[in-house]
Parts: sequence; structure tokens; C-alpha cells
Amino acid sequence: MSKSKVFNVVCWAFIIVFLLISIFPFLWILITSFKPEVEIHGAGAYNIIANNPTIENYITVIFEKHIFRAIRNSFVIASLTTLYVVIVASMSAYVIARFKFKGKSILMGLILAVSMFPQMIVIGPIFNMYYQLGWLNSYFISLAYCTITLPSAVWIMVTHFKQVPLSLEEAAKLDGCSAWGILWKIIFPISAPGIFATGIITFIAAWNEYLLSCTLNITESMQSVPVRIGYLRDEYSIFWSQITAAAIVVIIPTLIIVLLFQKQIVAGIANGAVKE
Amino acid sequence: MVKRMTFKQFIFIIPLLCFIGVFSIYPIITSCMYTLFDYRTNDQEYNSFYMNEKLNTSLLVEDCQYVNYFISADITMVSEEDQAAFTEIMDSVTEVMNQYDGETTTRNMSAEETETIKGFIEKTTVDVKAIYDKYPDVEFYNRENIDTILQNLSTCIVESNFTGVANFAKLFQDSRFWAALAHTLIFMALSVSIEFVLGMCLALIMNKAMKGIGIIRTIALIPWAIPTAVSALIWSYLYDGSYGIISKAFESIGLISSQASMLLTVNGAMASAVLSDVWKTTPYMALLLLAGLQVIDRGLYESASIDGASPVKTFFSITLPLMKPSILVALLFRTLDAFRVYDLIAILTNGGPGNGTETLSVYAYKLMFNQSNYGYGSTIVIGMFVCVAAIAILYVKVLGADVLKND
Repeated sequence: MSKSKVFNVVCWAFIIVFLLISIFPFLWILITSFKPEVEIHGAGAYNIIANNPTIENYITVIFEKHIFRAIRNSFVIASLTTLYVVIVASMSAYVIARFKFKGKSILMGLILAVSMFPQMIVIGPIFNMYYQLGWLNSYFISLAYCTITLPSAVWIMVTHFKQVPLSLEEAAKLDGCSAWGILWKIIFPISAPGIFATGIITFIAAWNEYLLSCTLNITESMQSVPVRIGYLRDEYSIFWSQITAAAIVVIIPTLIIVLLFQKQIVAGIANGAVKE
Repeated sequence: MVKRMTFKQFIFIIPLLCFIGVFSIYPIITSCMYTLFDYRTNDQEYNSFYMNEKLNTSLLVEDCQYVNYFISADITMVSEEDQAAFTEIMDSVTEVMNQYDGETTTRNMSAEETETIKGFIEKTTVDVKAIYDKYPDVEFYNRENIDTILQNLSTCIVESNFTGVANFAKLFQDSRFWAALAHTLIFMALSVSIEFVLGMCLALIMNKAMKGIGIIRTIALIPWAIPTAVSALIWSYLYDGSYGIISKAFESIGLISSQASMLLTVNGAMASAVLSDVWKTTPYMALLLLAGLQVIDRGLYESASIDGASPVKTFFSITLPLMKPSILVALLFRTLDAFRVYDLIAILTNGGPGNGTETLSVYAYKLMFNQSNYGYGSTIVIGMFVCVAAIAILYVKVLGADVLKND
């Protein structure tokens, strides 16, 4: 066998092991979610096929533990966040990408600093602020999500806007287009893929957020998915069969998003990171 | 060609400034302020910021009412002379009560007022006690009640809870803080270095553009995209001491002595946390590095192979140097992410066993939200902030990570 063939085999082995490890936890909880609770604790804990497969876990999780309500909450909060973050980020990213102004590097440094500092620093004051405003346990939480989503959104968008050729804008300006007009009619349509990527990345970040939502929205009816699923364990005993069923239910939306938008997600991750 | 900004364009960045101001800058400043006070929201005397002594007027009025009520019940049991003294005390109490009646706030006092009130409280306490003490044998209705209410009266003047840098002094002597810092740094160093090595291998392989890269990429994205809270919960099941499959597997290949030691020993719990983080974040690291790899001109590799350079040599003299900027940026962001880790640790181990995996975030969160001790909790957070700044400066200044090149 030649040297490059050996190398190829090693590569493939690495990839296959990596993929198996990536997928294994999901397969195992999928298996567990169909087992009755007794079989998880007993001698058959490591059986691949349950002796008495059941869908009762799913029924309990959906109808008694209100996992769908948590999914709805997460969906509303993540959508609201995505909406305003994309608008705010695209407006400012346009100016940052196109114009010179005093304090621009300070502004960029500030945005970068916000994305770097520990979230823990804002959580105490934000909790007290929301408490005083009476905003706890409400969809207002999506406003607080700007600390985790806005900086990276601006960053990704600036990179995208810089790729839009200037000549188009100048032509539009000669034709008497206003600054708003240029943004909405030229920049937005051309950088639609970039804006879409930003939106997806923002949505996933908001969907996955745990710290703010386990602090600000703790009423059962307002809990988001990560918080709700954590509370399933907090009762007197741990029902792994229910937790695994709930995990499968909440992974499905993420799976759909990843399958549909993987190109945009990868573009978003890459654009946030690469400095050409 | 880049133009100067006019006012019209400035409007475009106002929303961004507002959001950063309200949800980032204001909380940071407030956190800094918290550190200077003994601020605890579960204790009436400490639940606000008192630079000076303050007067709790509603408590004062209420206590005065009780003093008069208790005395009037007992007044008939003492001599006529002392009855007169009691009446006098009650009159002075009524006077103060009338003066503050209707006020409900805890407010600042003038220097003169402070003296008057303090004098009043002291005089009332001494006088009332003197009379009660005169009759040790009489069974008053309110001998104990009056003691309690007089003690309560002295809390009407709320002491300042401004402590200056005392919280920071406490921080330096808090062994739990240093332990948490050590756990955080260990977690950060282990997980980032393992992720980097594995992510680099993965990125190099993916860059070869083999068949099926789309599927590999999709599968790699799933661990990254699901909520950390959910994956931490999944892993805590897989690590479980009596029926977790991963802990069982580790036990049977001899990595750990017994299944239960995975989450119940300090080293096992730390390894579990690192392993879960590596599982979740390696694909993300690989994608960041892959983006950096794809920028490198392929022609360079061709010339290198024509010159007869070995793949290893090519990697170290072409790939690594050219990727340095993107490697540093990826490492910087991952390092800071790992440093502030909260949800993974909180759900997987909650800092346990015996605070053995407690990171700074977890410690600060417990102080702030389980003990309502915002003053000291914020001090820990400011300590974290300093560490984060130090890490960022290390990467940017010492290693030359060019994060602001986007400008």
C-alpha cells in the first residue's frame, strides 16, 4: 500500500470515529426514550432494544410537562430577538462598513469587548432592572438577549457589506437615492445571503440561551426550552426516560434548522471569524 | 473610497448605541457600584445603597405606637411617682410619633435631626428600662415585649452599607474564589487545547474536499447547534453512576475504578465537563479553522510539493504561519467562552462534588441568586472581568491576534 493510501485510510478512520462520537449520544437517548422507566434502572439498562417499547414518555412530556409550551416560548423569544437584532445590526453595520467617522475604532472595540466580557457581569443589574420594571417572566427578555447576539451580528454584517461593490451605491446616489433608499433597495437585496446567515446565527444563539432565561423567566408558563428541560430533573427523582424523550422533542427543531440552513450557518461562522 | 459620516448616517447607529448602552454599559457600571456596598436584597437593612445613615420613618412611627401601647398597659402597676415619669415618656414618644406620622419612606436626615432622633431613642430606652428594672418582682404584662420593641427602635436608624474596597479585600482572602479560579483555568486550558488539536485535524481533512463533506459538515453542526443545557443533561445521563453507558464503558476498559466515580470524584467530574465541552465545541472550532484554511492560496502547496517538501514540513512552514491570524482569533474567542462557562457546569455538576468543579461563573451566580448577595457576587464578577481583559490583552498584544482588522 502506498503512503498516500495509508494517509487516506487514517483520515477516513478519524472522520468516521468523529462522526460516531458526535452521533452516539443522540442515538442512545433515542433508544432510552422508548424504554419504560423500570428498564432504565434494571439489569436491561444497556439493552439496545427495549423489552417493552413504549411511547408513554413522549405522551407524559408533551401533555403533562408542557414541553410544547416551552418550545413556543423559545420560538417567540428567538424570533423577536432575530427580528430586531437583524434590523439594528444591518443599519449600523452599513454605516461602519461605508463611512469614516471619529471614534469608529472605539465603537468597534466596544462591540468586540461586549462580545468578550462575561455575561455574568450584566445578569445582576439586568435582573434588578427587570424586577423594577415588572418585566420578569415576559417576552421582554428578548431585549436583554442583545448582549449576546448583537455584537456578533454587527461583526458578520460588516464583513458582508464590505463585499458589496461601491459602484452600485454611487450609481444609485447619482439617480437621487437617499441613504435609506440605498440601504433598503441596494445593500439589503445584494447582501441578503449574509443577512440571512446573521439571522440564523442570531436565532440559534437566542434559542440556546440559558443564563438569562433561567434567571429572568422562571414561571413555568414562560420558561424557554433549555430551562424547562432542566426543571424536569429538579423534582424529587430523576425520570431519565422522560428527560430523554423531552430532549428528542426539543432537538428536532434544531435538527430541522441545521439541515435546512447548514450553508448559511457555516457562512455565518466563517464570516465572523475570518480576517482576510 | 470611504466617505465621512454626516448626521444622517449617525442616526443609523443610534439604535445600536442605545442597546449597548442600556443592556451592556449600564449593567457594567451598576455592577461596579454593587461591589462598593454590602448589598443583599434579602435583608431589609442592606437592600439598598446607603451612603449615609438613613431614617426608616414608617418603622419609627410603628415602634412608637407599640412603646406607648405597652407602657399604658403596665402603667397602673407602678408607684405614682413613676406613673408621672411614664406619662412624661409617653408624651415625648407621642410628640415624635406625630412629627413623623404620614411619612413612609426611608430617607436622609440632617445632622441636627440625626442627633435629635438618636438622643430620643437612647433617652427613651434608658428611662423605660430604669422604671421596669425598679420592680423586678412585679408581673408586668409587657416586660419582654418592651425589651424587644426597644431593640427594634434602634434599627430605625439604618447604618450606611457603603463598604468601599472591603469586598475586594475579602476577595483576596477568599479561598473559595481562588479555588474557583483554578477550576476555571484548568477547564479552560484542557478543553481549548484538546478542541484545538482535534479541530485542526478535522479542518485539515475537510479541506481536502473529500466526497461527502456536506454530510460530515451537517453532522458536525448538530452538537454545536443544540442548547448546551440540553447536551449537558444528555451527558449527565450518559455519565450516570449506576446506569450511564459512557461511565460503564470507561469502567470496563479500566479508565475509572468504578462507574460512580465519573461524576462523584473531583477529577472524574472535571474530566466529564471537559469531555462534554470538547464533544460540543470541536466541530465549531473545526469550522472556524477551516474558514482560515480556505483563504490560503492553493498554489503555495503545489510549489511546495514540486520542491519536494514533505506534508509535515508543508504544514509547519506554510499552513501554520499563514493561518496564524485566524488561529489566534479562534483561540481567543474559544478561550473566553470556556473561561465564562456557566450552563454546562451548572447542569452537569452544579459545581460539585464538594465545590470541586465550581467555576467562577457558578460561584458568582450562587452568591447573587441563591444568597441574594449582590455586593460580593459582583465583586467576583469584576474579578472575572479583569481576568478576561488580561487574557484578551495577552492574545492581542503578546501574540498579535489582529481582531480589529475588520475596521
